[in-house]
Amino acid sequence: MPSEDTRRAVRTENLSKIYRQEAEEVQAVRDVSLTIQPGEFAALAGPSGSGKTTLLNLIGGLTRPTHGQVWVGDQELSELPNRALARLRLDQVGFVFQAYNLLPVLTARENAEFPMLLQGVSAPERTRRVDELFARTGMEGLEDRRPGKLSGGQQQRVAVVRAVASRPALVLADEPTANLDSASSDALLDLMDDLNRELGVTFVFATHDARVMDRCRRLVRMMDGGVDSEETPA
Amino acid sequence: MTRPDSSSHIGVILALALRNLRRQVRRTALTATALILGAGLLVFSNAIGDGTHEQWIDDGVRNGSGHVTIEHPAFRMSQKLEDRLGAEVRAATVAALATEGLVDRVTGVSEQLTISGMASSAAGARPAQILGVNPEAEAAFTTIDEQVIEGRYLKSDDRLAAYVGVGLMDQLDLRLGSRLVLTGQDAEQEIAGQLVRVVGVFRNGAPSVDQRVIHIPLGIAAEWLGTGDDVSNIAVMVADSTEVSGLVSRLREALAGPVDAGLATVLGWREAMPALAAMVVVDEYGNYFVFGILFIIIGFGIVNTVLMSVLHRQREFGVLQALGLTPRQTGAVVFAEGLLLTAVSTLVGVGLGVGMTWYFFGDGLDMTALAGDAMANVDLAGVVMDPIVVPMFSVVRTVQMLGWMMLLGVLASVYPAVRATRIDVCESMKFDR
Repeated sequence: MPSEDTRRAVRTENLSKIYRQEAEEVQAVRDVSLTIQPGEFAALAGPSGSGKTTLLNLIGGLTRPTHGQVWVGDQELSELPNRALARLRLDQVGFVFQAYNLLPVLTARENAEFPMLLQGVSAPERTRRVDELFARTGMEGLEDRRPGKLSGGQQQRVAVVRAVASRPALVLADEPTANLDSASSDALLDLMDDLNRELGVTFVFATHDARVMDRCRRLVRMMDGGVDSEETPA
Repeated sequence: MTRPDSSSHIGVILALALRNLRRQVRRTALTATALILGAGLLVFSNAIGDGTHEQWIDDGVRNGSGHVTIEHPAFRMSQKLEDRLGAEVRAATVAALATEGLVDRVTGVSEQLTISGMASSAAGARPAQILGVNPEAEAAFTTIDEQVIEGRYLKSDDRLAAYVGVGLMDQLDLRLGSRLVLTGQDAEQEIAGQLVRVVGVFRNGAPSVDQRVIHIPLGIAAEWLGTGDDVSNIAVMVADSTEVSGLVSRLREALAGPVDAGLATVLGWREAMPALAAMVVVDEYGNYFVFGILFIIIGFGIVNTVLMSVLHRQREFGVLQALGLTPRQTGAVVFAEGLLLTAVSTLVGVGLGVGMTWYFFGDGLDMTALAGDAMANVDLAGVVMDPIVVPMFSVVRTVQMLGWMMLLGVLASVYPAVRATRIDVCESMKFDR
């Protein structure tokens, strides 16, 4: 369905982000024009400081561009008011962070349900979705634990469940495996790969982890804030 | 997908606020304790302050000129017999006080004939303030009859009886049953004397009263001074000092003729006893000043707790916004924390304050236990301060305190909440805590 695809695509045009650090200006993202198709499992790869996290934040509407434009689906974000931006993040974007970023005062289940709670999803439906995803991620029995009582891998699985349970079109994952051991990383990547294939959720990673890059079906290499090259591994 | 309604967000915001308060139990408990004690102290000290003022006013009006006094316009300054209320004005006043709407508000009426004269005995002569009174009405009005230390107060069938202050008794070397001569200027401007016999001695505590005041029956005073049915003033007491202004207005209306003719004036206790009124006002402002300091301390406590919490949770606020809360809703979480903390603590604190007020309601708070004998028989503006203060509970005052505390909570939570709305989401998620 083309219209559906257009609605869910990510597109940037001449996107730039300049940070001001005291008297100095730092160009974190430089003139990036990029299109991500719906259902892609793509990675923004590159060394630290290459601008991949900033680009991810721009796509997620967490920061505003200095120049250029960014679309999520058919919505252009750069001029969107805060309230509409929050609405877009809630309904269309899921985030997975390197540091998990679960809310420490909530249990694993409450964390996973949080975006759905904001969306107004009914309690039985929230429970159903989380139960199903927790079962798939091996988190059964840990629903009532607070983040402090979970391992890093478990916390990141909760974060992934939180990101996908609200049925976003797009999941943005910033170095999701950076704090995980290889077994946990593989399990997490398996999970995200499955969700991508089964639910058609678009995944965009910012990573310099070779394991992530190996699993992605499109690789956008970044250098000094700009797109250096693109690959589509077999 | 179901669209969220605002109520679901309010529920989420409140739930998060509650969880966050429970997260730092020790910090929350410390601030809550400070708030509870502050609110309790505020309510209790306010009740003590109001009770003290009401007691001062009550003592003042009972031993002075009532909540409202009707007298000749020149009498207050001159204290002369010639500046008295005529019999017609007296009758009109009594009639006005008996009308519907006033009769049920008035708890006591004292008609007095006052003269500054001399009291003499074989030991010498001393200046005296001689009050001709109706014994029964006066006993119901004043507390001076309860201050008897020897003998008794006047009775309605007494003829040549006198009730004398203990200081004057000592100065004139009098005993119970002793005779003394009262001398003063009568209605004809002539010096006239009256022999009376001491039937009772009182101790008020205020030297100005104990060394000068003598009560004699009004009939004897009128005969002696030739004043007929005239009186110096009519003092009126009401159940609650807040009714004074209404009573003054009604009486001024009822006595418009004599008032306009310059034969009478109607004064509330604040006008009749300006020193007492000033004392109450000064003390009230002193209390407000202390309350203000208390508010500032409590306010900083709330700001400290909520702001520290905000500074330690930058990353969380970033996450909340990344997950779909708006900056304003993120601020609302912080605001709700401050407000919940204040609301619960204030309610408990007000309960504590009301409990303390209730506890001291019966026997009062004996200030001599705190300030020693220095508190006993302190005479301020002619009023003897009772060292036992009975707190005064007022629903309105309590609700006001509750309102002020809540307002304080609101104000103290605004700044931390604004800080939370202004975070940079990306920067905050780099935050290490």
